[in-house]
Amino acid sequence: MTLPERVLLHYEVEQFLYAEAAMLDARRYRDWLALLAEDIHYWMPIRRTVMNADLDMEWTQPGEMAYFDDDRALLEIRVKKLEAGSAWSEDPPSRSRHFVSNVRILDVADDEITVEAAFHLYRSRLNTEESNWFGRRVDVLRRAGESFLIARRSLFLDQTLILSTNMSTIF
Amino acid sequence: MADGAQVARQWDRQSLLSLFDPATGELDRRVMSDEDIYQLELERIFARGWNFMCHESQLKDPGDYVINYIGEDQVIVVRDEDGQINVLLNTCRHRGNALCRAEQGRAKSFVCSYHGWNYALDGRLIGVPGQSTYYYKDFDRSRLGLAKARVENYLGFYFATLAEDAPSLHDYLGDVGRVSIGMIVAHGDVEVAPGIMKNVIDCNWKIAVDNLFDWYHVAYSHASADTAGFLDTAAILHPKNQMVMLGEYGHAIGGPAVPADLQARFDQMTDAERNEASRTQPPNTPRIRPKAATELMGTVGVRSHGHPNVFPNLWVTMSGLQVCLRLPRGPAKTELWWFTFLPKGAPEPLKRQIMWQANHIFGPAGLLEQDDGENWSQSTRASRGVASRKLGNHINMGIGHGQVSEGEAGERFVEGWVSEHGQRWLYRAWTEWIAATDWSDLKANHSAPPSGVI
Repeated sequence: MTLPERVLLHYEVEQFLYAEAAMLDARRYRDWLALLAEDIHYWMPIRRTVMNADLDMEWTQPGEMAYFDDDRALLEIRVKKLEAGSAWSEDPPSRSRHFVSNVRILDVADDEITVEAAFHLYRSRLNTEESNWFGRRVDVLRRAGESFLIARRSLFLDQTLILSTNMSTIF
Repeated sequence: MADGAQVARQWDRQSLLSLFDPATGELDRRVMSDEDIYQLELERIFARGWNFMCHESQLKDPGDYVINYIGEDQVIVVRDEDGQINVLLNTCRHRGNALCRAEQGRAKSFVCSYHGWNYALDGRLIGVPGQSTYYYKDFDRSRLGLAKARVENYLGFYFATLAEDAPSLHDYLGDVGRVSIGMIVAHGDVEVAPGIMKNVIDCNWKIAVDNLFDWYHVAYSHASADTAGFLDTAAILHPKNQMVMLGEYGHAIGGPAVPADLQARFDQMTDAERNEASRTQPPNTPRIRPKAATELMGTVGVRSHGHPNVFPNLWVTMSGLQVCLRLPRGPAKTELWWFTFLPKGAPEPLKRQIMWQANHIFGPAGLLEQDDGENWSQSTRASRGVASRKLGNHINMGIGHGQVSEGEAGERFVEGWVSEHGQRWLYRAWTEWIAATDWSDLKANHSAPPSGVI
């Protein structure tokens, strides 16, 4: 790819990720579902506090236990749950702000683009509860006309013990 | 161990026992917020009882360790060169520094990062820098090993206590505690799946324990998981076929059960027939346990597909494939740790299915537990105001309507509608635990599993 091509792709990818973040902050969950590929895998492994010598056991691996290990059907269930009128952990709804930064395109292969980013999800609940979730995110975006579909999202959280009552927010 | 005498002066025996009235089901809300009562719980319940530490599969080789807690005391659970599992208080004898800062790992020994004192995997102090110079050889290392808890295991499940005078783990568990572990081992040889979910909820630990017996909340608390199509709550509820088993020292199991006549039909079947029937029965129906389960769990226990709590804080889920620790972190803070078990010989697709279920039901992002955490934290928060803490909680469902049956092996159980017999048994035992000054007091002054109508 030439430099202008790379710059253009980077711009397209960033704008897509920002638009997605705005959608989630605006609680437009149905619109968000439309951004997901049919075969999406949405995954957040469990991280452990380990010594330097044991870093090989820092993360759970695919197919092991995970905080999120969702396919499209499961993500639709999460959205339906939010819409159910009885999701007590989200009524009153959380106020969220999704930040995406340090965006780097790691790989471009055929119609799939692998993108790494740092994320910060701030959640404010009721009057006094705050959650700050930081981490690294690796997305696989698939070309779909003028836009993209999210084919894979891996969320590598920086917390080991989750310092929140729940994770009822979409990352 | 300190026995809470200082706190107990303000809370004499009678005032502690009166915090819960089993006759009316009224619970004094101060048990959810009072700092002194919380300190008593740490000393008289957690330090005194048997606390779940790990499953043997978590520590395969010498040097493998995990961190766990007895109340708020952090412990290192480690397998030594002889294959023994030790539970060591994670505090250097020199300045109190934490020796181990990781959650799990492999160690040859534990070296303190402050001055370099070195402890063997069995807790012996084996190295003190400057012993022959700065200490002039005038140093008895044998006196300064790490403090060790008593450790015993039942079927590969390791527990620890800080009380020298505690009964054996076997006796402590009693029939109900052994059925609880049996619910897991009925799957055969099991191992812990990689990855323990851990999160912090702003609630008192007891509301989280109370909830596990609570088959009343399922339809309402978890309505959104039902509406979303994740779980058919009506299918798992079996509100009329409920069984509550009550054991010594506060252990209890509450939830759906196989009616005796249906179990009698299962008893006629071979294991192959049971497997086939389990495969073809409607979704969300508990699998029919194999023949061997009856020896493990007894003729009453084998019928239970409810939720056991091994007192004080180990929940075994009805599937027998997960346990959850409720670890106290102050009157209004609790850590939840989820362990998932896999049958060792199971085919990979079944293992993946078990983990998929476990990932999506419980844990902080679990479609059920999201809403539990919210209710527990708000119950804790809304109960501690000067006026609101003077109101009692009402745990009176089914009082006077529970006919206690006795099984062949002496099991005590109540069958019928959804009830709060399990919760009442929990709080009744809880008052006895915090009122007792030591094990001999508790042994002499605790309620035997009931008979008659409760």
